[in-house]
Amino acid sequence: MFYDHVLASLLANNKQWAADVHKAEPGFFEQCAKGQAPKVLWIGCADSRVPESVVTASRPGDIFVHRNIANQFHLDDDSALAVLTYAVEHVGVTHVIIVGHSQCGGAAACHAAAQSPAPASAPDAPLGRWLEPLTNLARDGNLGLEELVEENVRVQVRHIVESAVMRGAWEKGRDVWVHGWVYEIEKGMLRDLDVSVGREDVAA
Amino acid sequence: MLHDHIIAQLLAQNKEWAQVVENTDPGFFERSAQGQEPKVLWIGCSDSRVPESVITASMPGVIFTHRNIANQCHHADDNINSVLEYAVGTLKIPHIVVVGHSKCGGVAHAWATAHDEHPHRFFANWGDLIPFVKAGSALERWLAPLTAIARAQPDLSVEELGIANVRAQVLGVIKSKVVKKAWEEDQELWIHGWEYDLATGHLRDLGIAFGPEGEVAETV
Repeated sequence: MFYDHVLASLLANNKQWAADVHKAEPGFFEQCAKGQAPKVLWIGCADSRVPESVVTASRPGDIFVHRNIANQFHLDDDSALAVLTYAVEHVGVTHVIIVGHSQCGGAAACHAAAQSPAPASAPDAPLGRWLEPLTNLARDGNLGLEELVEENVRVQVRHIVESAVMRGAWEKGRDVWVHGWVYEIEKGMLRDLDVSVGREDVAA
Repeated sequence: MLHDHIIAQLLAQNKEWAQVVENTDPGFFERSAQGQEPKVLWIGCSDSRVPESVITASMPGVIFTHRNIANQCHHADDNINSVLEYAVGTLKIPHIVVVGHSKCGGVAHAWATAHDEHPHRFFANWGDLIPFVKAGSALERWLAPLTAIARAQPDLSVEELGIANVRAQVLGVIKSKVVKKAWEEDQELWIHGWEYDLATGHLRDLGIAFGPEGEVAETV
């Protein structure tokens, strides 16, 4: 059956949710339609178990979001760069948070691949290419899986800090911050890695 | 460190949420940690007003999610292609929904560029600091295919462009190597186009759907 009950139930849930919200806060959707002013950009993993707005009990309008495999921010990736640009320059977010998580399939695959020496030729499929930097990170640092999840977050934070978007914002004197978090799926809890970088932390 | 209260607030909200979930459904997180079996891949917009799991009242574990500016699926984009590869190839997710939404900033910018208009009138309210897309920027490159659609169909209004965008991205998904390979291997996989109306909070099936046998005439 192509139209599974899964989709029908998502649509039914949505209808009920919209009705509940409208009842509790009659002007909510009208306000949403006027514009958005989220203060946070969440760059996280596509993993179904880490929906940013659910785990932080946030409302529509709170968090601007980019989710990809293993919460990467590659400096040559137009998708992530476009999100960062739009979030910081057009929407005005003040906090950019990279969120890694335990039980990350991408990180686990990289950790496993790192147990063997680097292959002779570069990966020829998107997922392999996408995860190549993370695999190298695991191999070069001889990192355990948990360490890899954390170090991955630190590296992506560094990439964001190095980006022209962030440099530009800080040069203009904007108070924008970059943070690194890890979500522990086993407990449902977010943990701040305390690697935050703000305008004053960056050399003039 | 002088963060505003936002960070502390998010972390506090998370702590409280985790406690409520554990009380309501003991063992939920432990089970969650065993693995994920989502049946849906959501390709949606980064827009803060369209959080897929909130608007569908879904618990963690239900929706595998990729969100970017204007819910795009570009042919040579390793970012989305790696999501597709993992979702379809590894997790064997049977349904992909491409979800556009009303009042999409990316769509508005593309429309304005194609019509040689200043995008100002689409961003009359809150939080839009720079009303134009910088030439030569990643954002401009990112919106180029959408701008091309707007140029090719100049009679479309902004909202009509949003819908045309969903259809175009659905076509992008079905043309991907990952999807073609899945269908060649008789994998159960359908791709659908949906639209979220910000003004009402309603998700709508646009009646655009493709499966192993080709385009599906009706979806409900």
